Amino acid sequence: MMHDGGGHVVRLRGVGKEFGAGRVVALDDVTFDVPSGQLLVLIGLSGSGKSTLLRHLNGLQRPTRGDVEVLGVDVVRARGAALRALRRDVGFIFQGFNLVGRLTCLENVLAGALGRLRLPRYGVLTYSRALRREALEQLDRVGLADRPFQRADTLSGGQQQRVAIARALLQRPRLVVADEPVASLDPESSAQVMDVLFRVCAEDHLTVVCSLHQVELALGYAHRVVGLRDGRQVLDRDARALSSAQAMTVYQRLGADPAEVTGRVLATAGNAGSA
Amino acid sequence: MLAVLTAVSVREVGLSGGALVEGIGDIRRLVARMLPPALPELGTSLDLLLETVSIALLGTTLALALSLPLAFLAARNTSPHPAAYGAARAVITAARAIPDLVFALVFVRALGLGALPGVLALGLHSVGMLGKLFADAIEETDRGAREAAASTGAGRLQVITSSVLPQIVPSVVGLFLYRFDINVRLSTVLGFVGAGGIGQQLRATLGNLRYPEAMGTVALIFVLIVGVEVLSVAVRRTLLADEGAGVRDGSVLAFLGRRGRRRQAQVPPTEVAGAIRPPWTVERRWKAAYGVALLAALAMSMGGTGVNPLQVVAAVPDIWGVVQRFWPPDFSSGTDLLIDGMVETVAIGIAATFIGTVLSVPIAFLAAGNIAPARWVYVAARTVIVVVRSIPELILAVVFVAAVGLGPFPGTLALGIGTIGFMAKLLSDALEELPQGPRDALDAVGATRMQQTATAVVPQVTPTLVGQTLYMLDINIRSSVVLGIVGAGGIGFLLVQSIRTLAFERTAAVLLLVFAVVYLVEHLSAWLRRQLI
Repeated sequence: MMHDGGGHVVRLRGVGKEFGAGRVVALDDVTFDVPSGQLLVLIGLSGSGKSTLLRHLNGLQRPTRGDVEVLGVDVVRARGAALRALRRDVGFIFQGFNLVGRLTCLENVLAGALGRLRLPRYGVLTYSRALRREALEQLDRVGLADRPFQRADTLSGGQQQRVAIARALLQRPRLVVADEPVASLDPESSAQVMDVLFRVCAEDHLTVVCSLHQVELALGYAHRVVGLRDGRQVLDRDARALSSAQAMTVYQRLGADPAEVTGRVLATAGNAGSA
Repeated sequence: MLAVLTAVSVREVGLSGGALVEGIGDIRRLVARMLPPALPELGTSLDLLLETVSIALLGTTLALALSLPLAFLAARNTSPHPAAYGAARAVITAARAIPDLVFALVFVRALGLGALPGVLALGLHSVGMLGKLFADAIEETDRGAREAAASTGAGRLQVITSSVLPQIVPSVVGLFLYRFDINVRLSTVLGFVGAGGIGQQLRATLGNLRYPEAMGTVALIFVLIVGVEVLSVAVRRTLLADEGAGVRDGSVLAFLGRRGRRRQAQVPPTEVAGAIRPPWTVERRWKAAYGVALLAALAMSMGGTGVNPLQVVAAVPDIWGVVQRFWPPDFSSGTDLLIDGMVETVAIGIAATFIGTVLSVPIAFLAAGNIAPARWVYVAARTVIVVVRSIPELILAVVFVAAVGLGPFPGTLALGIGTIGFMAKLLSDALEELPQGPRDALDAVGATRMQQTATAVVPQVTPTLVGQTLYMLDINIRSSVVLGIVGAGGIGFLLVQSIRTLAFERTAAVLLLVFAVVYLVEHLSAWLRRQLI
């Protein structure tokens, strides 16, 4: 599923976000594009603005300044039906899974179809057979076809995140945004979830923007790595040309001035990865 | 200061040693004339009991239908606009502040005698509790799940039905059953003001001095209430067994004193591959069975009482007509009557709390498993509590008025005894939860049982006792407002009088005064609790 002639799926221009009337600067002048089909990983410390940035991509948050364009839609100004139409095209994976624990896996996955449906739904049986079958197929793709009617809160964390991935897939998205998808999981489940996530996204030729804590994990999966520090872009490189040590500079407390860090990283980085 | 206030109140309601002895003598004589109880005409009684339950069920269902949408407007996280939030909260508070009997009196006047005003009265008054607690439940839902639904491109209504509603369903079911339980108690009294149910029969038998039959009716009411409570607890247990986290056991539901055992969440057996219909697990069968039973009960209730949704809708213009006549409130005439009535109401509340506390403390100690001297004492004390709890205070008040005559004295006695059901229960539960250590220490010192209790238990439970007494005071002053409706003293008399004479502006004035006082007392008692504990 290619985007309008294979152009940029995400276009960020000078995005700034302040909370509490300028007291806290979460994002500061972030500018980059994500071409179609790219697998971009955001790295950075907690509080560096990764989540905030991702939440701008489907309008869960709006910038204080700058432009956010996703799939050709001006997210900053989109409201109502236009915003919902955009959200339908953006599958969002949350750190905390955000499933409804009381509901079955299948019903949680079916929520991914809400953007396509007009009326409110309550209960698996209010969705058409075709949709239920489609939801079951997505569950199958994440390896959970054997338990569609198990309550979501009885699953392990890794399984819950896979249900959430299936929910995002049912949206038939063009862009997948994943906010620390494995931060609350043990290493083994983490690897499993990451494998599933990147396998299905590759199968569907989806563009992915994913934030991660773990540099090794990031380098293993990403086409391109962008580093944030105190809300500023301090790294933007092709993943193949990036060593783990270089990536780690994002996490080091070098000096007080982010600009200095930017200088060092970019000096070693060479051409930023527009693949 | 509290002691002085209590003494003044006790005098105000005419409660003295002599009066108490005399009053209790009167009640004993009345009870003697009531014994042995005679069953009133069984067919009629059963019809009326059925009508009582039907009114409660329809009223609770109406309240559910009104409260749910209102709650979404009154919850910060789902309300579309601050103005809608404020308005919804105001409606809920008003519904709670107006006693169900006042609603019933007004509706009987507006719509005529029968079950319909009873259903409407319970339905509207219950919105005060259900709306508030549903809104609280909505505000406690997980924000992440809402965000996830919104991120799929779902609209506002879709987000609510797909992510908020499923999260609050256990609370809704639990609270519906709990409120139904309360409404059955309330609807036994509705007949006194002509709003249907078994209350009519109690009123008629007492009025005609057919005391044995009146006693029989009270016994039937008791059986009904116990039966409904057992049923609702059983339903709650099967339906909410695996929802431990969803039902806030610490709050209202704990009142029933039985905690649903938490079953291990069921993992269904490996399912048929490719199944896209939910399997018929045991749980799902129970849910379906209860759903069908509820629908059948609703249909029967509508058939039996002749109340249907269309009628409720058709009543709206009439109700609106009456509501408009409440404005402007008329404070002009008989201001001293108003103030006297209010003072008497507050005095009844204080005196009843005093009597109730004096009676509750010993019973509570005997009903605490870790303190009761013998198993049979424990069982007997718990039985007393359960029995008292199962007789609505207003039914007691009616019987006492018949024995002693009109006035605040029977009302005080009824509320005082009614206090036991609540207070002794909570206090004995608190006693049972006290740590055993301090008593063991005194046991080791060689103290007697009484000494252990006095030195190790009483100091530990004193803060609880003080807190509960103040809480009961708050509740009892609210309850004493309606006592006057059955002739048991206080400002309720003015309410009945003004409604009967269609002087609704006057009713509004009385209600506003009541709101002000109840509000004041609530905050005062909360403030005192903070100071003392």
